[in-house]
Amino acid sequence: MSFLTNYFSTIYTSVRSLLKGMWKTGYYFTHHKEIITQNYPENRDSLNLPERFRGEVVMTHNEENEHRCTGCTACELACPNGTIKIVTKFDITPEGKKKKALDTFVYHLELCTMCNLCVEACPTGAIKMDQAFEHSVYDRRLLTKKLNRPDSKLMEGVE
Amino acid sequence: MLSIAEIANSLQQWLMATFSPGWATLIEFVLVGTLVLSFFAFLGLVLVFMERKVSAYMQLRVGPNRVGFRGTAQTLADTIKLVVKEGLTPDGADKFLFNFAPFLVLITSMLLMAPIAFAKDFQIWDINIGVLYISAVSSISVIGVLMAGWSSNNKYSLLGAMRSGAQIVSYELSAGLAIMSVVILVGSLSLNDIIASQQNGWWIFKGHIPVIISFVIYIIAVTAETNRAPFDLAEAESELTAGFHTEYSGMKFALFFLAEYVNIFIVCAIGATLFLGGWMPLHIGSWEGFNHIMDFIPSSVWFMGKTFFLIFVIMWFRWTFPRLRIDQLLNLEWKYLLPISLFNLLLVTFIALMGWHF
Amino acid sequence: MSVSAMFFYGLSAAVLISALLAVTSRNIFRSAIFLLFSLVSIAGIYFWMDYQFIAAVQTIVYVGGIVVLIIFSIFLTQQAGVDLPTPLRGRLFFAALASLCGFLLVTLQLLAHPFRKGAEPAMSKDMKAIGSGLLSTVENGYALPFELMSILLLAAMVGCIVIALKPNTVTE
Repeated sequence: MSFLTNYFSTIYTSVRSLLKGMWKTGYYFTHHKEIITQNYPENRDSLNLPERFRGEVVMTHNEENEHRCTGCTACELACPNGTIKIVTKFDITPEGKKKKALDTFVYHLELCTMCNLCVEACPTGAIKMDQAFEHSVYDRRLLTKKLNRPDSKLMEGVE
Repeated sequence: MLSIAEIANSLQQWLMATFSPGWATLIEFVLVGTLVLSFFAFLGLVLVFMERKVSAYMQLRVGPNRVGFRGTAQTLADTIKLVVKEGLTPDGADKFLFNFAPFLVLITSMLLMAPIAFAKDFQIWDINIGVLYISAVSSISVIGVLMAGWSSNNKYSLLGAMRSGAQIVSYELSAGLAIMSVVILVGSLSLNDIIASQQNGWWIFKGHIPVIISFVIYIIAVTAETNRAPFDLAEAESELTAGFHTEYSGMKFALFFLAEYVNIFIVCAIGATLFLGGWMPLHIGSWEGFNHIMDFIPSSVWFMGKTFFLIFVIMWFRWTFPRLRIDQLLNLEWKYLLPISLFNLLLVTFIALMGWHF
Repeated sequence: MSVSAMFFYGLSAAVLISALLAVTSRNIFRSAIFLLFSLVSIAGIYFWMDYQFIAAVQTIVYVGGIVVLIIFSIFLTQQAGVDLPTPLRGRLFFAALASLCGFLLVTLQLLAHPFRKGAEPAMSKDMKAIGSGLLSTVENGYALPFELMSILLLAAMVGCIVIALKPNTVTE
């Protein structure tokens, strides 16, 4: 007897779960306001990118043209495909000691997979992901970028 | 009122008056063949567009919306692309069978078109064994699939063809038994008689729960027979690239693609004829006014409406359910559908004998 | 020649040519396909004669059943894609002799048989008549063969299930 009840309960549960799925897709089919696709070139001005969308790596600068990068190369080590190259220099501190500092933050956009590992590796929060995504250019060299602005210097108090 | 049937009849009379009967028949063959082929092309365009739109809306997408008005010319553009592509024949393939297989599949679909009643008194061939003819001819299409899989000389094609063949052969049983339940109630194999018996109500309403069960079984079985998701093991992309048509390109691939959609149309048309009354309008008992209003809608619109509703349901299945494994597929057929439909057939026979249906 | 006769000769030619190709082809899969063409053409001849039921049954049984079974067994055979070797000269000679004898026998029988138009009306083609004929127990009824066939098929199915059953590994 338990065989029969098992048989029919299998039929009942499977039919019920299938109908549940069909109810969901049927709901989506009839409710077009739920559509998440955006017609890109038309709505370029009112583009609504999701929060976690990643377009490129940028370095944040404040109003006094200061960044937070100490040149520790943690991001360079974290990058799986050699996108980041840090060039360091030695600054002379007021006490007369030599101190390692960032010279150039080279970023190869054409190699980047937007994996976010560099941002997570950064101990000082100097870099973050930006949402700009229209990167196409006619010359590959234009994709190699310098992230620190000219004449920018390390923010006070960031070690 | 000018109807399709009258146009066809006057054409027939003119041909008979102008030529000798034999030649008139031959000319009619050519005419009907051309009409069926153009209907195929039309179906291909409409159904592919419909599938893409339905799938898009069910997955919260927009679907084709660039070519033509709201993307309606998308399938036309795709067809032109397929026509101008090179139809490649692999070196190791059996050339004759490889090139013949797509045509065999399409010819089978053309033959299946014959007994379908598209409108009142409008049918290519009023054959008195209609339902039997359909189950007979539809068994040829599996040969086309096996031929394509074998002659491609590719392991994916062969595996896909084997799966497809096993699947079609096993699901033919439940589809046949589901059809049989309506045949028992009507007492005739002719599609015209089956439609005429639904004058006072469609079988799905008249036949109580057993007919509803066989309707559901029919829909499941034909979804499997046309190799569509969730039963698309024959062309499971993640396992077999494209199954039996992996090696096909260009127009030969397009013929397989077209045949798939035409087969969906045919099985849905037959389902609509058997269970939903074919071109018969919706009549409710003794509501004279309501019935008269329903009669004003042309019969071809009724037929197409029902058929496209069933096609929509099958597309709905495809974009909702995940693909079955091969053991689940065989379990479903041999442990659930077949015993249920056999028992159901007994119930229907009992109802027909006692005259309990309306 | 009327159009109807043209159809008959076309179909007959299709039957004969594809049968010949089925025998002479060196590739076993092609042989199966040509056999299929031959059987379908025979169904076509039945349709031409307006015996639709027999035509449909011919298609279901031979095309849907037997040819699919043959093709499946070819698929499951090893080295099925390799062309068969050409038969030995001696075997070829005897095979040709045997088939010639068979052909002569059939032809002689056909020529000796006096074909005459039957006085009795042709058999009914109505599906109802065929259906009740299959179940009637009186003269010209087929109830006994029909039931015998069902029992045979049932026995075959039970046998299949017994073969397919997994042996009970744990037995007392």
